[in-house]
Amino acid sequence: MANRVAIVGIGQTYHKSKRPDVSQPEMVNEAVRAALADAQLSMKDIESVFVSNMETFEGVYLPDLSMADEAGSFMKPGFKVAAGGTSGAVVVEEAFHFVASGLFRTALVIGFEKQDAGDTTAAITASTTLAWGKGMARGAIHEFAKQALSYIRQSGAREEHAAMVRLKADRGACRNPYAHLKLGLKSVEEILQSEPLEWPLRLYDFCPQSCGACALILASEEETRRITNKPVWIADCITIHQETFRAGAFCDLTGREPYSQQVAATKLYKRNGITNPRRDIDMAEVYEPSDWEEMLLYELFYLCEKNEGWKLVEKGITEIEGEFPVNPSGGVLATNPIGATPTIRVAEAALQIRGDAGEHQVTRDVKTAFATALGGPNWTTMILLKRSL
Amino acid sequence: MAEEPRQENIKITYTKSRPYQWAAGKYLSKLYKENRDNKRLVTNRCQHCKELLWPPQMVCGRCKARAGEDWVELSDKGTVVQYTYVNFPLWDPHEGRPVKEEHPSATILLDDGIYWVTRLEEKDKEKLKVGMRVQAVWREEGRGRGLDEDILYFRTIEQ
Amino acid sequence: MAERVAIVAVAQTKYHPNRADVNEGELAYEAIEPVLQETGLTFADDGTGIGSSVTCSQDMWDGKTVSSMNVMSYVGAHLSTEDKVANDSINAVYCAFAQILSGHFDIVLVVSHCKESQADRSIIENTAFDPIFLRVLGLDFLTAAALQARRYMHKYGVAAEQFAKVAVKNRGNAKNNPFAQEPMDITVGDVLSSKMLVSPIRLLDAKPTSDGACAMILAREDKARKLTSKPVWISGVSNCYEGHYLGDRDLAECDALVSAARRAYAMAGITAPLREIDVAEISEEYSYQELLWMEGLGFCGRGEAGKLIDAGATQMAGQLPVNPSGGMLSGNPTVVAGMARVAEAALQLRGEAGDRQVPRASVALAHGVTGMCGQHQCVMILSNK
Repeated sequence: MANRVAIVGIGQTYHKSKRPDVSQPEMVNEAVRAALADAQLSMKDIESVFVSNMETFEGVYLPDLSMADEAGSFMKPGFKVAAGGTSGAVVVEEAFHFVASGLFRTALVIGFEKQDAGDTTAAITASTTLAWGKGMARGAIHEFAKQALSYIRQSGAREEHAAMVRLKADRGACRNPYAHLKLGLKSVEEILQSEPLEWPLRLYDFCPQSCGACALILASEEETRRITNKPVWIADCITIHQETFRAGAFCDLTGREPYSQQVAATKLYKRNGITNPRRDIDMAEVYEPSDWEEMLLYELFYLCEKNEGWKLVEKGITEIEGEFPVNPSGGVLATNPIGATPTIRVAEAALQIRGDAGEHQVTRDVKTAFATALGGPNWTTMILLKRSL
Repeated sequence: MAEEPRQENIKITYTKSRPYQWAAGKYLSKLYKENRDNKRLVTNRCQHCKELLWPPQMVCGRCKARAGEDWVELSDKGTVVQYTYVNFPLWDPHEGRPVKEEHPSATILLDDGIYWVTRLEEKDKEKLKVGMRVQAVWREEGRGRGLDEDILYFRTIEQ
Repeated sequence: MAERVAIVAVAQTKYHPNRADVNEGELAYEAIEPVLQETGLTFADDGTGIGSSVTCSQDMWDGKTVSSMNVMSYVGAHLSTEDKVANDSINAVYCAFAQILSGHFDIVLVVSHCKESQADRSIIENTAFDPIFLRVLGLDFLTAAALQARRYMHKYGVAAEQFAKVAVKNRGNAKNNPFAQEPMDITVGDVLSSKMLVSPIRLLDAKPTSDGACAMILAREDKARKLTSKPVWISGVSNCYEGHYLGDRDLAECDALVSAARRAYAMAGITAPLREIDVAEISEEYSYQELLWMEGLGFCGRGEAGKLIDAGATQMAGQLPVNPSGGMLSGNPTVVAGMARVAEAALQLRGEAGDRQVPRASVALAHGVTGMCGQHQCVMILSNK
């Protein structure tokens, strides 16, 4: 019989493009201290430490080892995960299983990336190899350029819609003290005139590379009741993978392949009695590497009909004051330390449930939320959070 | 807001090669050999779902079982489904330096139903169109080592 | 924790210095296919089949960001679940154990692969060290191990001859292991006259470059009993980190291992390991490590493992045979090595260890290491009762 698991502590660093003032371990330590302070715990209360990071992004082999002291893993059980874009959520899911199993009563989960130490696009290009696929690899930018092209053709969305998503993200980021990019964007034109990356993506359509860390403390039900009276329960987690049979995993060109997001959402909703996501869930923090992808994600998570994601944007439904807020924190478009990004999605959704998101707290009351991660050739992790089970 | 004090960091730059030797494996090797020796594209068809795998692979991911040895030759002609182009150089870890792509890239639907992302010969953006018919141009000089080098790009052809 | 978790099938590839004939996925499938065939299981999310997999590989060794992508098709992950562990693969078995105990999965496939032949070990290992202070010294795990071996010899008076006995024993044991890469008939003299790599570690004190994969299937008790007549129960497991900077540690000690072992033993109800454990598979990348880890595992007091090997206690006929498989020394890739230890321990408990079988083995210990001088350690206790 599975134990119930809650998030009892949340901590983040102030995400930036460069952190020359700290080493990787020191940066992680900031997030760990913040989470411990939030939970009013010390490392003595932590039974295990789970770390997410992509080694090739900073060129560090076994990074969990070099930060054992600063992450708090010293003389404790722990694990390391490297699963690409989904790492930061897979690590939450693995810790969740361990606490649910009763093997640990508490777990510290850390996602981090210090992207000023490496070149992310080069590292993502290294997810192909000379044995296959290297020639056309230009990192994630390329994949999402293809996605945007497909989305335009399939749904009839226009550049202005993507730009409106970007504006929403920036508005949220400007109200989020931890967010990286706070651009103060005022108009769609500013985005449409930004530097072209890979057509049709422009600079502002795509996520940045950030330095940052995020830490969560998970606890069993019994421990949770001792630690906090504002727990955020992890109701369920699911990870679904996808192999690329058709070119463009992020934008199936044939209409024949289900997306991992759809499979994950269908199963998660069914397992949790969610029949109308817009009604049964209050908000979401999704992993959107580009503004175009965010619109597709609305559809894939069944927040609207197929090909209508852009309509939600036109109607302002996903704004902070809207009927179904998505990414009030500014999302990945504003902040993207890859190993931490999904952990931040979980943290931000949890803050909303707790009512602790400060200026970017959404208007409606949040009892149920989900956080998602996206990585690899369109892998998905979804985590469902609730104020009470 | 007060100006942040200027910080001077000591910077030590060093680069280190991390060389690798990847084995293409049994199925990719067959494709590469046909490519190199006979200028042919081949792949295997899964014995269970009957779909063509691309690139050829030992196990069909969809069927979660061995795909089998039903090899087919593919047409080297296709239609452009979508195209794009990069505006700035990107660090390529296999080269160890920034590389600027000169040619646009495109998702091409080969006549056999396989989607493939590869380069287009046509550099003039005005001439690029979805639906263009294209054909592979094979390297003539020098013995190719692998797929990316043996097919230079896809050239626009008449309908 | 109402139910137990068992290993129901295991497979390993024959370890080999250079498998240039296969890519990573094809290599992994050489271990995956046998466990699928043995159990008759397919991949299915409805509880009738394998609902999830845990893979274990290193991006730096595969030379591929998101190295788990190399095996996705092979572990049935398309539109299904896979989780990842980037420590030594014994920790992936631990993770699968937790997945099942959590109640969220019934049957989990665990797979690990590594092709050491594809990359330069020294360059990769160097990047595990602090970039500002330690990398410039050219440290890798071999040089770090040499520091540890020297410290161990100095503090406890352990001798190079005793390390050599480990190499002789394990290479000899490997002759009975059809999966072993390099069984050898050698003497202590052969080891002590082999080429010096980094003092005091000689060529025959070190493991060779190796390519290989290992796979196993874990299941919850009710399903395990239907899948095999010889379930191997995981009765205790734990892991532990210690500090990173070599100078912060007394390298003659292995606090992380002591801690992991203590927790694993407590879970399994073991109080006298030397007496209660019938066979041990320990990850010894360098010969001195088998002795040091034996002490951390509590087989004897500090500094006394040399005496145990001198007395023949860890030989096949001894009180507690260690590494009947030939261990890492006879050729296992890093990353895969820990799970290979679990697989060998499981074979022992199933009575399927052939010529290397320890008679009537009922309780086994498997051990895995991640990082320089064993900074991360994992201990697993298995039983067939």
